Amino acid sequence: MSQQYAIALKGITKTFGSVVANKNISLNVKEGEILALLGENGSGKTTLMNMLSGIYQPDSGEIFVDGKAVSIHSPEDAKRLGIGMVHQHFKLVDVFSAADNIWMGKEKPGLRLKKDRFAKIDEIARKFGFEMDQHKKVYNMSVSEKQTLEIIKVLYYGAKIIILDEPTAVLTVQEIDKLFAVLRRMKEDGHSIIIITHKLNEVMAISDRVAILRKGEYITTVDTRETNEQALTEWMVGRKIDLNIDRPVMEKTRPLLELRDVSIRNDEGAVAIDGVNFYIRGGEILGVAGIAGCGQKELCEAIAGLRPLEKGQMIHKGDNIVGLSPKAIHEKGISMSFIPEDRLGMGLAPSLSITDNMLLKNYAEAKGPFVDRKQGRADAQEVIEQLEVVTPSTETPVRRLSGGNVQKVLLGREIKAGPNVIVTAYPVRGLDINSSYTIYDILNQQKQAGVGILFVGEDLDVMLSLCDKILVLCHGKVMGVVHAHKTTKEELGLMMTGALDLTNKYEDKPAGIAKDTLFAQAETGEEQSQ
Amino acid sequence: MRIHIVKRENCSLLQKCGLYVGAVLIALVLGGVLLLSIGVDPIAYYTEMFTMGTIGNRIAYKTFMNYLKDFVPLVLTSVALSLAFKMRFWNIGGEGQFIMGAIATAWVAIKLGGVLPTAVVLILMCLAAMVAAGLYGLLVAALKVKFGTNETLLTLMLNYVALYVLTYLLETKAAWNFFLEPTALRPVPQSFDNVVSFPSIPLGGKFALNICVILALAVGALIYVYLKYTKQGYEIAVVGDSAGTARYAGMKVNRIVLRTVFLSACLVGLAAAFKVGTVGTISTTITNDVGWTGIIVAWLSQLNTGVIFVVSALICVLHTGSVEAAASFSRVDSSFANMLQGVILFLILAADFFIRFRVVITKKGDRNHG
Repeated sequence: MSQQYAIALKGITKTFGSVVANKNISLNVKEGEILALLGENGSGKTTLMNMLSGIYQPDSGEIFVDGKAVSIHSPEDAKRLGIGMVHQHFKLVDVFSAADNIWMGKEKPGLRLKKDRFAKIDEIARKFGFEMDQHKKVYNMSVSEKQTLEIIKVLYYGAKIIILDEPTAVLTVQEIDKLFAVLRRMKEDGHSIIIITHKLNEVMAISDRVAILRKGEYITTVDTRETNEQALTEWMVGRKIDLNIDRPVMEKTRPLLELRDVSIRNDEGAVAIDGVNFYIRGGEILGVAGIAGCGQKELCEAIAGLRPLEKGQMIHKGDNIVGLSPKAIHEKGISMSFIPEDRLGMGLAPSLSITDNMLLKNYAEAKGPFVDRKQGRADAQEVIEQLEVVTPSTETPVRRLSGGNVQKVLLGREIKAGPNVIVTAYPVRGLDINSSYTIYDILNQQKQAGVGILFVGEDLDVMLSLCDKILVLCHGKVMGVVHAHKTTKEELGLMMTGALDLTNKYEDKPAGIAKDTLFAQAETGEEQSQ
Repeated sequence: MRIHIVKRENCSLLQKCGLYVGAVLIALVLGGVLLLSIGVDPIAYYTEMFTMGTIGNRIAYKTFMNYLKDFVPLVLTSVALSLAFKMRFWNIGGEGQFIMGAIATAWVAIKLGGVLPTAVVLILMCLAAMVAAGLYGLLVAALKVKFGTNETLLTLMLNYVALYVLTYLLETKAAWNFFLEPTALRPVPQSFDNVVSFPSIPLGGKFALNICVILALAVGALIYVYLKYTKQGYEIAVVGDSAGTARYAGMKVNRIVLRTVFLSACLVGLAAAFKVGTVGTISTTITNDVGWTGIIVAWLSQLNTGVIFVVSALICVLHTGSVEAAASFSRVDSSFANMLQGVILFLILAADFFIRFRVVITKKGDRNHG
């Protein structure tokens, strides 16, 4: 071996039942290097990393740490070898404080806890530039705080090789920058880092080398400096793929959905959405950008009738929809698909079959006391064919499908109902490039069919190329509505943090109020009926 | 050599049955070892138990009729509980609901028996039991829906409340207490089996099939259809799987919870009516523990209505058989059945593990394994 690798894998194979998750994979990481592990969903990245952290054992193949062959039978073994993993789903005890979570897994000699543990945690935090309150309980922490805690935890255990599984999936742009700064500092300190992600721009920004997996097989490792996003995509997907997202220009209709001066409270009773105005026309995609948790969820829920309005008006084609039941709103043609962080919590019943999930919103329409499964099966079949859902059958429980297919089922059902307004939040959350582009295509098809789409997203690059207009939220307030082809990522970033307010950019028209609003009609309509 | 635990892709029905039968056989072998250790011939004992002592018995028909008397309440209670369990509502208050139903049944039977035509009284007994038990269950559901209370604790505690109410009624000698025999000096529960009881259909010989058996089968079939094919059954499945999704789909989750728990408790009440209406009296042991055994049956059957019938039938063989066998084998107490039932439950759970996973043993360095 000419060069000593911090970690090297040779011919690793792992199967689950008849599924080959990893097939003869060999790769290596140098000391003080950041290696990005790239691959689509189901390409075996997480499985491979779980073998390094001792959760799984390889069926065959060898692992070398610092040039010595090792066998890792448990997370304890991994810890002893200096391998630490930050999982996609955090492994923390909610009711414990940060400090308690950190030294919980540390082998401590003697019976008494040593006082110096706090100082030691502080030292690590200072060294790598973390900000953390050691006494804060985990259930009070934001996602990024939890992640920080997980990273400090592995550093506290003395890990030299740190694996991060999709660390950026749940972070905002600013939080990602902060994370990357920390990773660079760790690298300078001689740590080796493996980062799993499928965001190409992040790969380009942070990594030294990129290893690519496809369908469980190792494809290649390249120097980041000598490659580009297009080349990486082709390796990852196995064929040429167009990275441009289309934005067909459509004839727009009068406003379909209009919100005027809407305020909504969140579960804790704090104001989540504060005096918001906006409208969606048929044939356009209105993006909603904002830092995570600045009212997007509450806004979507309010439109779908799941959350009461504090004040304000909501009209759909001139009719008031405030106070209607979720069912009545759905019958008006407003469909909502919200992909929460766990991807299953809302909109789908995971243990039920695809057929049963198709029926979720229209099962009550069948005549008589029985559920019309024949219709459901036909719908399921149609969605499976149209959106290329990979599933053994229509009767497979949704829980057994992979992430991308779950989201296709959800979106497919919503589109099947023939809505005129689609509210969709994070529809590509956690999806690989191929599946994401399928979803964008579906949304564009709907737009071309004259549907108005509210797209709550997190990836600004995607929003800039997919959406017609982008509404920016900051702490529940609208910072302005901008045309996607006229704005920049930087401008959006400033608006998201509240540094730039464009609500009064055009003097003749306040942001978010349509010139040809149907509110006047709604009001006169009301007067007539009175 | 290394041992792997590998997830099974799919397990054929035959394999499943094989594993379950295997689990029961191992339980019987374990029980057999125990029997041997106290000097009882296990083969003879098991033969006696599984035939419920009917072979060479001139009153075998009577044993079978008694068996059905135990079977009907158990199967109905299990079906009823499975309804709530499907919705992830942990109704472990079968005992309490059964007792409430039993009190209501006795009340109607004593007050109206002989006053109104028997058929009418029987129907009223069933209705009264269903309403009483249903409301007793509904109370817990309402508290859960309104205040988010824990249904497991409440249904459990209300079991004891019901039991003590019944004990009070059966031990308090007073002028108002019509549950007791008025002529007796000590508190003796009134019996009304010669006034009003569920009729039996003679089926040749001395064997007569009680109408409750047929009704229980019919209710089972209805619940099977209800859960599998109706909109309400679909709602139960969705709420049980994800209440958030149900709300999002526009279902009125609270109403579904209230409705389902009421129905579940109603059916427990019906089981009580059938039981009280065939034995013709009430006692503090009227439940025969069906509220507890029903939970085990429901889970052993994995909430599958059809399987509940099979499992209930087998569990009843165990119980009736052990009582019969205790007559011939004085050394073995009839609670041997309870022990055997526990061992079977454990081993079935173990079998479940082997249905979901399989164990693969590989030699070190062996690259291919099956």
